Order: sequence, then structure tokens, then C-alpha cells
Amino acid sequence: MIEFRNICKTFGETTVVRDLNLTIDRGEFCVLIGSSGSGKSTILKMINRLVEHTTGEIRFADAEIRTIAPEVLRRRIGYAIQSVGLFPHWTVEANIATVPRLLGWAPDRIEARIAELLHLLNLDAERFRKSYPHQLSGGQQQRVGVARALAADPDVLLMDEPFGALDPITRDSLQAEMTRIHAETGKTIVFVTHDIDEALRLASRVVILDNGQVVQAASPRDLLNAPANDFVRAFLGKDDYGLKLLSVETVAERMRPAIEAVGEGAVLPEDNLRLALSRMVALKCDRIAVSTMQGARVGTLFLSDVVR
Amino acid sequence: MTMHMRFAAGIVVFGMLLLALPHSAPLFAALFPALDRPLYQQQSFAALVLAHLGLVAAATVLAMVVGIGAGIFVTRRQGQEFRRLIETLSAMGQTFPPVAVLALAVPVIGFGFWPAFIALALYGVLPIVENTVSGLEGVDPAAKEAAEGIGMTPLQRLGQIELPLAAPIILAGVRTSVTINIGTAAIASTVGAVSLGSPIIIGLNGNNTAYIVQGALLVSGLAIVVDMGFNLLAGQLGRWKVR
Repeated sequence: MIEFRNICKTFGETTVVRDLNLTIDRGEFCVLIGSSGSGKSTILKMINRLVEHTTGEIRFADAEIRTIAPEVLRRRIGYAIQSVGLFPHWTVEANIATVPRLLGWAPDRIEARIAELLHLLNLDAERFRKSYPHQLSGGQQQRVGVARALAADPDVLLMDEPFGALDPITRDSLQAEMTRIHAETGKTIVFVTHDIDEALRLASRVVILDNGQVVQAASPRDLLNAPANDFVRAFLGKDDYGLKLLSVETVAERMRPAIEAVGEGAVLPEDNLRLALSRMVALKCDRIAVSTMQGARVGTLFLSDVVR
Repeated sequence: MTMHMRFAAGIVVFGMLLLALPHSAPLFAALFPALDRPLYQQQSFAALVLAHLGLVAAATVLAMVVGIGAGIFVTRRQGQEFRRLIETLSAMGQTFPPVAVLALAVPVIGFGFWPAFIALALYGVLPIVENTVSGLEGVDPAAKEAAEGIGMTPLQRLGQIELPLAAPIILAGVRTSVTINIGTAAIASTVGAVSLGSPIIIGLNGNNTAYIVQGALLVSGLAIVVDMGFNLLAGQLGRWKVR
């Protein structure tokens, strides 16, 4: 879907990205992570030509992006940013409709798409359609921001630290939404963050950057199981490294057939092991019942299997 | 709604003043018994109001085209170098009293409508340029980045995002410009332009206090009504903020 070939980016004397080679496949949830100055935002902005690369080639859907007019390219790529940037003088629906309107969609198609997106982002249409951005909370604004980015059904969604300014609870629920939206729409998402937990939670592939170069690109699980070097290890953290390991594995992978166990606060098969461990500690037990959403018992999880 | 009503009331009161004034000779005769002709009758008051408004409107239109145009230009990448120049010119211009501009225009252009028009337009440009620049500068950078990032062309960004968001501040500049020019247009009668200043100037020359009162009443009334109109317009532009 997106391919960086030998990309360098210099601003005057300073080199921000050096010899980057990276391919992002269709349907991937690719999270770029690094400390500030690592070049992650620059890499993201090169995809929609907000920043032009100095040398090399960036291909998008099999065309070098410089052969596509910036406006045309950007209308095919959703864009959501930390400061949201909703247009304050437009209602929520007008904000969401921006790109479809630019593309000249018929009014009834735009209308239908607005309804669909408000639903997808869990925004009550009755309440929010005619509201202005300043009447919304930060979390609601970012939901509208994501809806606007998705409005014209773009091939790719770029997100630049979209949840960085939100409180932990709101961020948590929006992360859950993103996972769901990615699963439902199958969009290719390129996401920039400096929060490793966010990266591990959302990504199908994490790209760790330092000094404008890729240090390691791997699935969260591979990253945790085989960090490439000390830099990656430091990035993954020391104290709760074990917990991060647990957070990328599910209960279903470690559970045994159902036997007598504490049923209260049962976990779901698709929950991660970190959550299951937390429940066991809270319930002071060494085994816990695994049930489906409908309440059917499907297995038992033992503490010894969690730490295996 | 109250702003609409106040504006409507202002227009009605001003209209009544305009209708009553031609029949007020007995009143002014009583107030100023020493005067032979207590009522200004060289031109009708309605014609003077129209001429005054026409002068101010024509000058303001030119000032807006030039002022907003220059403000847009110096806030674009291509015009950045001219920013300082425009700001310096505008600051310098503000220190000039409008009367001086008027006086300077006469030797260049002569007497009549045109020197008044040029002087008013020139002077009116300054607050409009200043406010256009600060209005456009004040647009939330996040909104600008988003507009660019989702694929608006530079012209679409300007027309749909930047100008509408800067509009209240630009309007405030236009309002200042118009307010100054309604006053200056009265003085423009000294260079031979027909305006509500005509009775005032003639009254001053001929020691006719009644003429001065009549002219001053209408100029101040006009200034108040026009200002109410701007108030109404400002409320309309900022509607999204208070909902």
C-alpha cells in the first residue's frame, strides 16, 4: 500500500530521516514510535506530502506520490491530528462532510455517510449533528476528527498522536474504538505515538524509530519476545516488561478445560493475560473461570499457566 | 432579535428626523431669532444624506478591496517579505490625522468629490489591513493544518476556513474605517465635496449656528445608525460561538 524506498529528509543542515526503507501493507495497523526527534511525525507527513521527501521514492497504491497532485492525494488519505483541528465555525456534520463535499458527492450520499460515521464512532446523531465543536468534550471532538478523516472512505488513515492530549479514561475508550474500527473497516492505518503501551495495544506492527532510522519493525509479540537490541529493550521498559509480555497474549491460548474455579469476575477467552492476572490477584485465587460474553463456561485459567 | 429591533428603531428615528427637519423652520427661528434664514435649504437633507453615504460607501468599498487584498497577500508565503513594509506603512498612516490627508489630496487632485474619495479610501485602508492581518494570523493553526491535510486547495482554505474565521476581526476593522470616514466625510465639504458637512461648513463661515446644528444632528444620527448596523452584522458573523 505504502512503500518508502531509500528516503532521506533534511531540513537545512539537519537530517531528520536517513535512508528509510519501509513497506506498509494493505490492512495493516502500523504504529510508528520513537522519542521526540526520531522522525516519526515527519515520516507520517511525507505520506500525504505535508512534508516533501528530499531523496528517494515513496509509492502509494503503486504510484510515486509526487506524480499525484497534493490535494488529490490527501483526499484519498484520511488525516487526524492531536490538536484535532475541527473547523470551529462549522457544525459536526459539516466538519465530517468536508472531504466528500470537496469530492463532489451527491447530498443524499453525504447525508447517509454522516449518519454511518456518527454511528461508527458512537456519537449520538440526535445530539451532535448540529452541534459546534466548542460544545463538545475533548474526546468527542477527537471522535468527530476521526469521523472526518474516514468520511470519504480513504484507502489509508494517518493519525498523528491523535489521543495524546486526552485523559487516560477517554484515551482508553478511543483506543478500544480504533481497534474495533480497524477490524470492521479493514483500513490501512499509520499511527504515530510516543506511548509504548498504546503502540503494543493497537498495532499489528510496531516500527521503532531512532534518529530517523528504523531500529526494529515487528508485531508486538515478536517485539517483546525478541527485542533487537538494548535500545528496543529500554523502550519496552524494565519494571513492567513481564506485564507487557502478558498483554499481547490471550486467555484462550493458555486456558485448560473447564473445572471448578472461581467464577466471579470471570474473564473472556479474548481478554489478554495481563487482565486475567490482575483479576486473579484481586480475587486472591490461583485459578479463574473463563466464560464467553453470553456466560457459557469454556475453560479455566491457572496462575501457573500464566507465568509459564 | 433585540439587536434587530434596536437597529430597526434606529432607522425609524433617523428617518423621522430626516422627514421632520425640512419642516422645522419655525422651531429654529424660535431658537435662533437673530438669523434671517434659520433652515438650510441649498440642498435637501435627504440628498445630503445620500451624497454622504455614497461618498463613504464608495471609499469603503475601495478600502476593503485594497485592505483585505493586501492583508491576504502578506499572510501568504509569497507575500511574507512585504509584511513589515505594509505594517510600517499602516502604522505611519495611522499617525496622520484624516484632515491632513484631505488637505494633502487637494493640491494633487483639485476640489470636489474625488480628493475626498481618495483621502477617505486611503485613510480607510489602514484599519482594514491591520485587522485582516491579525484576523488571519489568529486563525487556529490546528484548523489550518487539518484543512491542508485533508486536501483543501490554498484557495479553498482561504475562502472556507481562514476568511470566515477572521471575518469578525476584519469586520471590526471595516467598522473603525467607516466610523472614522463618516466623520471625515463631513470635513470633506471643505474641499468641495457635497456631504452632511456642507451645512456645517456654510454655517461656520456665515455664523449660522442653526445650519451647524442641523448638519451635526444628521451626521451624528447617521454615525449611530450605521454603527448599530455593524453591531448587528458582527452578531450574525459570530453566531456559531454563542450557540
